[in-house]
Amino acid sequence: MYFLTGWPRRLLCLRSEEEPFHIQPSSQRFYFAVLSQTQLGIWFSRPSVLIVSYIESAKAAAQFGSYQKAEWKPDDSMIAVATANGYILLFDVLGVGDDKSLYEPVYPKGSPLVKVTPGYKEEQCAPALSLEMKKPVDLEAPITSLQSLQEDLLVCTADGYLHVLHWDGLGSNGRKAICLTTIPFSLDLQSARGGPSLDLEGAYIRCMEYCVTLDGFAVVLSDGRLGFITPLSNNITADQLQGVWAADVTDGTCVAVNNKYRLMAFGCASGSVLVYMIDTTTGSMQLSHKLELTPKHFPDIYNKTGPVKLIRWSPDFSVAMVTWECGGLSLWSVFGAHLICTLGEDFAYRSDGTKKDPIKISSMSWGAEGYHLWVLPHIQEKKRQTEEEEEEEMDSPPQPSLQAGILQFHFIKSALTVNPCTSNQEQVLLHGEDRLYLTCGDPTQVNSTSDTHAHTHLHPREGSPMHHPPNPDSSLSQGLSTLLGHKHWHVVQIHSTYLESNWPIRFAAIDSAGQCMAVAGRRGFAHYSLVTRKWKLFGNITQEQNMTVTGGLAWWKDFVVVACYNFTDQQEQLRLYQRSTNLDNAFASVTKLHSDTLLLNVFRDMVILFRADCSICLYSIERRNDSPHPTASVELLQEVSMSRYIPHPALVVSVTLTSVRTETGITLKAPQQACMAESIMLNLAGQLIMLQRDRSGPQVRDKETPANNKKLLPFSPPVVLAQCVENVWTTCRSNRKKRHLLEALWLSCGEAGMKVWLPLFPRDHRKPHTFLSRRIMLPFHINIYPLAVLFEDALVLGATNETVLYDGLQGSSEPLEALFPFCTVERTSQIYLHHILRQLLVRNLGEQALMLAQSCASLPYFPHVMELMVHVVLEEEATSREPIPDPLLPTVAKFITEFPLFLRTIVHCARKTEYALWNYLFAAVGNPKDLFEECLMAQDLDTAASYLIILQNMEVPAVSRQHATLLFNTALEQGKWDLCRHMIRFLKAIGSGEMETPPPTPTTQEPSSTGGFEFFRNRSISLSQSADSVTTGKFNLQKTFSMPTGPSVKGRDVECAENMYIDMMLWRHARHLLEQVRLRDLGCFSAQLGFELIGWLCRERNRVARVDDFVSALKRLHKDFLWPFPVNPAGSLSSPLKNGRCRTVLSTRLLKSQSADSLLNSDMDTAPTQAAPTNHTWLDGLGQRPKDMDTASSSHSNQHSPQTHDAFLSLLTNKVEEYSVGSATDLTETSSVVDGDWTMAELEHISMELANKGPHKSQVQLRYLLHVFMEAGCLEWCVVIGLILRDANVIKQVIGFLDSPEVPQETVQSVRHGLLAVDTWASTDCLGYKPFLNLIQPQLQELMDSAAGEPVQPEAFQPSSQSSKLGCSEVPGGAAAPRAEDSRGAVSQLGLALPSLEPAGGFSRPPSEDCPPEQTEEQGEEEGAYDCTLS
Amino acid sequence: MIEVVASMSRGPVFLAGELMECLITFTNPMSHLSTSASSEMLAWASAQIHCQFHASESRVALPAQGNKQDVQAESDTVLIPSRGERGQCVLDTPPKILFCDLRLDPGESKTYSYSEMVPVDGPPSFRGQAVKYVYKLTIGCQRVNSPIKLLRVPFRVLVLQGMPEPPFPQDEEVSPSNPFLEEEEASRRDARPLERALEMLMVSTSRRCPQMFNITDSRGKVAKFCMFKTVYRLGEDIIGTFNFSEGDIPCLQYSVSLQSEEEIQQPYQRRPGQPVSVTGHGRHMESCLHTASSHFSLPVPLNVTPGFSTDTVILRWRLHFEFVTARDPMEPPIVLQNQSEVTVWTGAEHVNVDTFSWDLPIKILPTNPALASSMSHFTGTNSINI
Repeated sequence: MYFLTGWPRRLLCLRSEEEPFHIQPSSQRFYFAVLSQTQLGIWFSRPSVLIVSYIESAKAAAQFGSYQKAEWKPDDSMIAVATANGYILLFDVLGVGDDKSLYEPVYPKGSPLVKVTPGYKEEQCAPALSLEMKKPVDLEAPITSLQSLQEDLLVCTADGYLHVLHWDGLGSNGRKAICLTTIPFSLDLQSARGGPSLDLEGAYIRCMEYCVTLDGFAVVLSDGRLGFITPLSNNITADQLQGVWAADVTDGTCVAVNNKYRLMAFGCASGSVLVYMIDTTTGSMQLSHKLELTPKHFPDIYNKTGPVKLIRWSPDFSVAMVTWECGGLSLWSVFGAHLICTLGEDFAYRSDGTKKDPIKISSMSWGAEGYHLWVLPHIQEKKRQTEEEEEEEMDSPPQPSLQAGILQFHFIKSALTVNPCTSNQEQVLLHGEDRLYLTCGDPTQVNSTSDTHAHTHLHPREGSPMHHPPNPDSSLSQGLSTLLGHKHWHVVQIHSTYLESNWPIRFAAIDSAGQCMAVAGRRGFAHYSLVTRKWKLFGNITQEQNMTVTGGLAWWKDFVVVACYNFTDQQEQLRLYQRSTNLDNAFASVTKLHSDTLLLNVFRDMVILFRADCSICLYSIERRNDSPHPTASVELLQEVSMSRYIPHPALVVSVTLTSVRTETGITLKAPQQACMAESIMLNLAGQLIMLQRDRSGPQVRDKETPANNKKLLPFSPPVVLAQCVENVWTTCRSNRKKRHLLEALWLSCGEAGMKVWLPLFPRDHRKPHTFLSRRIMLPFHINIYPLAVLFEDALVLGATNETVLYDGLQGSSEPLEALFPFCTVERTSQIYLHHILRQLLVRNLGEQALMLAQSCASLPYFPHVMELMVHVVLEEEATSREPIPDPLLPTVAKFITEFPLFLRTIVHCARKTEYALWNYLFAAVGNPKDLFEECLMAQDLDTAASYLIILQNMEVPAVSRQHATLLFNTALEQGKWDLCRHMIRFLKAIGSGEMETPPPTPTTQEPSSTGGFEFFRNRSISLSQSADSVTTGKFNLQKTFSMPTGPSVKGRDVECAENMYIDMMLWRHARHLLEQVRLRDLGCFSAQLGFELIGWLCRERNRVARVDDFVSALKRLHKDFLWPFPVNPAGSLSSPLKNGRCRTVLSTRLLKSQSADSLLNSDMDTAPTQAAPTNHTWLDGLGQRPKDMDTASSSHSNQHSPQTHDAFLSLLTNKVEEYSVGSATDLTETSSVVDGDWTMAELEHISMELANKGPHKSQVQLRYLLHVFMEAGCLEWCVVIGLILRDANVIKQVIGFLDSPEVPQETVQSVRHGLLAVDTWASTDCLGYKPFLNLIQPQLQELMDSAAGEPVQPEAFQPSSQSSKLGCSEVPGGAAAPRAEDSRGAVSQLGLALPSLEPAGGFSRPPSEDCPPEQTEEQGEEEGAYDCTLS
Repeated sequence: MIEVVASMSRGPVFLAGELMECLITFTNPMSHLSTSASSEMLAWASAQIHCQFHASESRVALPAQGNKQDVQAESDTVLIPSRGERGQCVLDTPPKILFCDLRLDPGESKTYSYSEMVPVDGPPSFRGQAVKYVYKLTIGCQRVNSPIKLLRVPFRVLVLQGMPEPPFPQDEEVSPSNPFLEEEEASRRDARPLERALEMLMVSTSRRCPQMFNITDSRGKVAKFCMFKTVYRLGEDIIGTFNFSEGDIPCLQYSVSLQSEEEIQQPYQRRPGQPVSVTGHGRHMESCLHTASSHFSLPVPLNVTPGFSTDTVILRWRLHFEFVTARDPMEPPIVLQNQSEVTVWTGAEHVNVDTFSWDLPIKILPTNPALASSMSHFTGTNSINI
């Protein structure tokens, strides 16, 4: 397909007052004859320079009249020019074929810059030509049309005659004249041949073109009628001509014929182009299609274009360029797909919105291979410009200041237009004059990445140390979106050496992997690899110049397959060149062919050739590795003569081998079928013909010897599958899961869009219904021009023209940049599945649709497909004026219910359609309330939220509020915070709507509550006295920035009932969380929704914020925060069972923590907690106490934290004791193990350190919660968190607080009971806690003591104290127990000793060897990162 | 045998400052049904990114370096990612341990995800004539009592110079950082450098500021040249227009080449005043004798390195123009109407010409790494068997 690129280039004609108005290319389009009134100029194509110009003398000009039309003799040796006074002037073009050249640069001698390009002299010069006029022929009537035939020149004159002149000896003996009135015309060739038509009196041929493949002339008569004249014999004589009319057309203006597709395009005064074909049976003219601007796309201009002025088919006949009297260019594919029109958008309007005058075109012509369009702009355009310029240049010498110009538009085209090979059509390859454009990122790569993801997903991934790998779906969609989202091309410039000597490029091909390209120009070929980024050219230029590619080229594995003509041997050859060897005939495998090749294609290991004798040849290719260089051997398999079916070999557009078959014959086993070359698809002038292998004959294959196995089945007679086909795609891959898509045949059909010939499969291998045909042809529309089909991905790739305006940049003078936008070509892609599914549903093939859809359900855009389908059907049926007897929407809805995304699809679709259609939609798919509830049941809350919006619009507020509440509660429960925030807004909006008050603005939070968090924020220094200044400083900042954004629930305008209602729900949820001991969830909940936790906890202090069961709360925290149970070295021996559990926890958690932070990260060792700040409400009263406490315990803590190392050294002795402590339970013998070495012990210790600590993040979170609870005065919770953190200071502090009169007695009791329970539990189930409990023993005792009247027995501590006692007694130099009976004393004794052994929570410090200074610094930074403020 | 496959899911191209993620899969390929099947053990595996620098002896004089390469014995449990490679390691990230003591039963496979920020302060991947910077992800694995095996995955790093430092210290100050919010924050932060870089790229390369140049040679004006911008992304087309109709000197031909200049910094030059190495990356050539106006469009290849500078080398980009102009005026004769004789105008056979050249510096910036990945010659995957 063709796309416009860049700006047009402007060429300058000779300075003259005359304007050129007619351009006529030579047969190969290397020369262009340009006519103005008295001048004939010849331009060369590349370089585009004027070679020669013939200027008529005044006298002759007066006699002949001005020049009007020109025509070249087919061998370029003559030009005939028609003049206004009815003369044909014949010019000899001399010098064609000579070696003389023009504009050869002569470089100064000794110049350092001698040549810009090596080889410039030979390639970049135009040949020298001269013009010589021969005797003119006077036809005595104005000439309306000139047409060159092989030997003759056909001239139509305004007196109704058709003159046949012989090119040689023009005007003498070869001259014949036929009167139009003598030609019999009818509507078809079969109807009785009447005599000469009487109504042709006075009419003449206005425009005429000869069509080789139809062997006749398409004519437009002066009265606007359209006709086709066939010579009945080989000679054109009066009595041998027969004409047919096109029915009912009388406004024809011009005609252009398409030789390849046997079409005649007639321009009409109405502005539309009618494209006719000839019915082969009756010989009548049949309208194929119209080229018309639609009112939809061109509302301003579609009916104001004026008559069609010119139509020009591209050299390969795949597109037509049309221009109108009002100007403008528009490009159409052969069967009417619209590609470009310069009457709209950026072409017609400047960037400031003003309208431009469209360029009026007096003549145009395609250049060689269609890379350029040479356009002569109309004179009036320039007159205006001349005036302007003359005004500017008043003082310049009076000379014809303006030079007329030729505009050269540049095009790039799809490689399919000339070289339609299927093997690689999942790539888009475009080629311009000097470069190739290919799609970036190949789809197979995307497939493979998705595969690898699926792969990794299958394997158990144990403790992935890093982030979670990306979700396979998301990565696939990401891959696809990178593939499809960016519109870039990869541009490869064609090697200039090859290009300069072989311009223009005729064929281009790309391999199936998209890595190798090959191009062929006039002679030879060259190939390029994306891997090496290098071109490979023939090393020997003679070899290159001795061959020309005739039938195209294709890749087979790493071989280039070319069908070429060898000038040395003068024969047609099939050659295969290996990619990696030097490009040299020595490495090529050459097969002689018997006839000219027109087309070449590759299917698996087969080459298919279409030859000029209308036969198809199949060759097998085999790779041979026997020589040092891999070669390929080629063997003829089969020859199929098609001459019976093909009237002219030039009509064959493409030929393909496919595995497609109609399955009417004997069914093959599926795998066999997929690999077989089952049928030949032949595009004959747009008619798709299929030849299947004939399996009806005796099946002797199996009995044959393998040697004869190559004898292949003959082909059955052809069947026509479709008309108006431009391109065909099939694949030879197979995939059992996507059989529908892979075994289908895809067609692009111009304006009719695309068609798919879809196979239908019986479900579950049941016997197929007899009425079910095996394949179905479904048409569907797409908005892009298809260039490739991605079979598995259910996508069509294409390209579109885009424009960029560059006007208004360059001041007053209007350069081309201002006249035209800069054109680019962008990649596009389109999904089509919804069309196909819908069509299947319409045809009652729901089962097939389901199978097809299920095979594609994993595609990332599958939801989108579903949505589109509902949307399209809904729009169509709901807006239909008449009632639809059999609406499709319910069927579609039912179809989608088969997929889990049904609920989402419906609601998305609803939200994208207007409200007016909702009733219709939900009448078909079900009540939105029910759908909402289904969403809730399916736990799809986001979709439920979407339905809520529907409900809000369709139901009364009470209903939507009720549903919203339901959703809000579920969202809270599931921790969908974003949704919660939305729901809060939503509920407020409903409320405000009800009360007709504006929705409340987010309210600011009270500073006091923030202060609490601020306190935590600087926790590392918060307990020191200096914290205050920092806190307040930061607080201000934080307030200004974060307050307004934070979604705040607690508002000051409590008067709003809605807020109250929401608060109630939040409170309820918070209570619920706390009751269930879900502190982590509570933390998230509060953080995410800005729930003011401290205030609420204060209120709940003596209600729900109490702890009933300390032990289970502790266990739950361990679980929720992934906090390992402490491991006791002794315990590790004594209790293998529990220990095992701890180990697993360790191994999994350890890896996690490792990923998040450095190994030994702890924020507790940064600073010992010292004092509580005194600036907080609740603590104020108690402020005094903790301080005292601290000073009391400071000696204690000081002992441990700074001198951890020293204490650590005393391990050995203690360790012995520790073992003996362990042995007190059951394993006394193992103490003998203890002659282990030091390092082992150290390692053990370090790992214990690690084991006893949870992830850093949990620690920060726990600390945060601790401070929140502390603020709120929830002392029981403080104790629990203090326990899990094993922070003795916390416990001490809390126990200190307990003495305060403000603390209710129940709390004190609860703490006491709780601690006792924990102690009991630790003694039996989790000995790891014991050392810590021992550490806080003095406080516990104090607590026990304070409970004077309480029925608490000190015996509760018995188990541990006994063991302690045991241990104590074995300490030889142990401090003397003041009271031997008092267990407390012994315990405290141990408590002093233990931390060194097993440094507990708050005082732990990893041995310094493992904590290099950098790491500490890092930790410091991280500390900052975890600082807490409240939003 | 253990099969190790490393695969960068996003593709092999990254912007500096981006998070690179690589999935490393260890598989015991033996089927659990086979008779000889047994579990396989790996002592440890660790991964690290490093940038290897290599300079051509003839062009770059590097200060003498102590050869530290052989300090590590083969069997040491120390990962030296650049071991056995030429040149020196100019940059490496801290090694990350993937696991210790991995045991794989027959048929079992385990996948680890390695992620690391590509260092911001490093050079871009560059393969010049004098200097090479190559980035690799090295995964070292060791069986007990065996030498360390290295699996290298080369990848490409694009550096967007002048990218503003991540503004997050300040962000952090004002944004909520309740520890329970942290998870989302972190994931959002990961995506930010890329977004920011792309935004910056868009801003700097989409601004149009047309620049007009009058091309003149010693005798007069040849053409007017217009560039619409001077900053381009990889993969973009460089567009310029020529207007010859306003020139006095006929121009036969012009060519525009996209060139990179690689200059070794003064202290490292092998010879004083050694010339810069110039590499061409695409060329447009056009005959323009009877042309009034034309344009060129040169694609910036996706695989080239945008301009940068390090201590050792500077890479600059330019457009190199060459013009072939006629020495003598070759105005086509003015055609006067109504002449008594037939006139045949023919072009000159030979034209005395001069050639001259001109350089225009331009800026080349990186592009979306995903786009560059699509055309990279790296695959982003590699594997070994150990």
